[in-house]
Amino acid sequence: MAAQRPLELILARNLLTSISTPAFLVDQSATLVFYNEAAGALLGRPFEDAGRMSPQEWTSTYGPFDDDGKPLELDELPTTRAIRNGRPAHAVFRIRSSRGVERDIESSAFPIVASEKGSSGAMVLFWPADENGGGEDSP
Amino acid sequence: MKVKVWGARGSVPAPGPEMNRYGGNTSCVQLTLSTGQELVLDAGTGIRTLGLDLLNAPEVNILLTHLHLDHIQGLMFFPPCFRSDAKITIWGPASPEASLEDRVARYISAPLSPVEVRELPCSVSFRDTPPSRWQIGSATIVCEAVNHRGPTLGFRVTDGDSTVCYIPDHEPGLGTALLDTEPEWISGYGLARDADLLIHDCQYTDAEYPEHVGWGHSGVGDALGFASRVDAKRLCLFHHDPLHSDRFLDDLHGAARRRWAELGGDATAVEMGVEGRNVVVEPGRAPAVSAPA
Repeated sequence: MAAQRPLELILARNLLTSISTPAFLVDQSATLVFYNEAAGALLGRPFEDAGRMSPQEWTSTYGPFDDDGKPLELDELPTTRAIRNGRPAHAVFRIRSSRGVERDIESSAFPIVASEKGSSGAMVLFWPADENGGGEDSP
Repeated sequence: MKVKVWGARGSVPAPGPEMNRYGGNTSCVQLTLSTGQELVLDAGTGIRTLGLDLLNAPEVNILLTHLHLDHIQGLMFFPPCFRSDAKITIWGPASPEASLEDRVARYISAPLSPVEVRELPCSVSFRDTPPSRWQIGSATIVCEAVNHRGPTLGFRVTDGDSTVCYIPDHEPGLGTALLDTEPEWISGYGLARDADLLIHDCQYTDAEYPEHVGWGHSGVGDALGFASRVDAKRLCLFHHDPLHSDRFLDDLHGAARRRWAELGGDATAVEMGVEGRNVVVEPGRAPAVSAPA
């Protein structure tokens, strides 16, 4: 069994399970440790099936990608910047769902900083950049 | 390790004839270590009468889970505080806002108090709890932040092979289904895992809980669910609502035991926090409980 998560990550996960904004949670090492149902709809796969993923795994699976379809550098991602700098970060980029559907999204990452222990991870919320903002099956 | 409950009430003292058996004093539990050293968990109003029992103890460690009034109100009336030969160490959660001493002093100062911390005759020191485990006498103590309102700790105290876990204010079921959630995502799981005795929040019935979601306390279903998930060998339901009379708590206890049995446990392993109750905790055995003196 993995060690118990810090309380602030547990509370963040509980929040994400309760909202309909697509969102995911990464730990201090940028490992994806949870995403919610809304994110699962956008990514085409529920978290229960996907499980946790290293930064390399989730970027190669879902992106984000540049216009040529190459994964962006980890250092450029809002998630990485939020954890590294302890400040919110925002970006617009393209992701690819597990069913191969590509879409542009806006993403904002917020560092989760406990009082004296520094960053425990980050909470990342994202929105489809296209107007209809629909889920996986939207055109 | 010996455990004695000096106050099991939550929120506010609740004296009165209808509360006599469970008691009206707020949170305070005494742990007597195998070496004879005394640890005191929280300083609710129960600590006043405990202090009368500690007249010969030269050194007392008080571990505060948090600074809500029902957990510190008795501190100003703790008899050793007024003995010049007493050495008291108060441990509590750190805060970026102010030192532990300054935060406690908001209560032990004018206009709420006739004395100031600096005027207490005892030798008193305030210590932020370390981020990892530490040692007091023969006990190894681990604390973790747990889900309540404001910075709040739970404590795991291990003396030899015996472990007591104390989480009096805790809402682990907030926003999550305890019976389905992976252990790493359950607040307090690491603290309470395999404890010989788990002393845990059970402020509400399950019928009352929906009106109090997010207040930082548990209904009986979540208290039992948490204890089941952590495989606690024995559970002491604690932090009784001030509106719950003896008769009400008797009924709650009966219902809790039935539900614990439904979860596959031994019904007699579920006890209620009762003021004056003594418990001897030994590894691998159900703690021996004796009635209030």
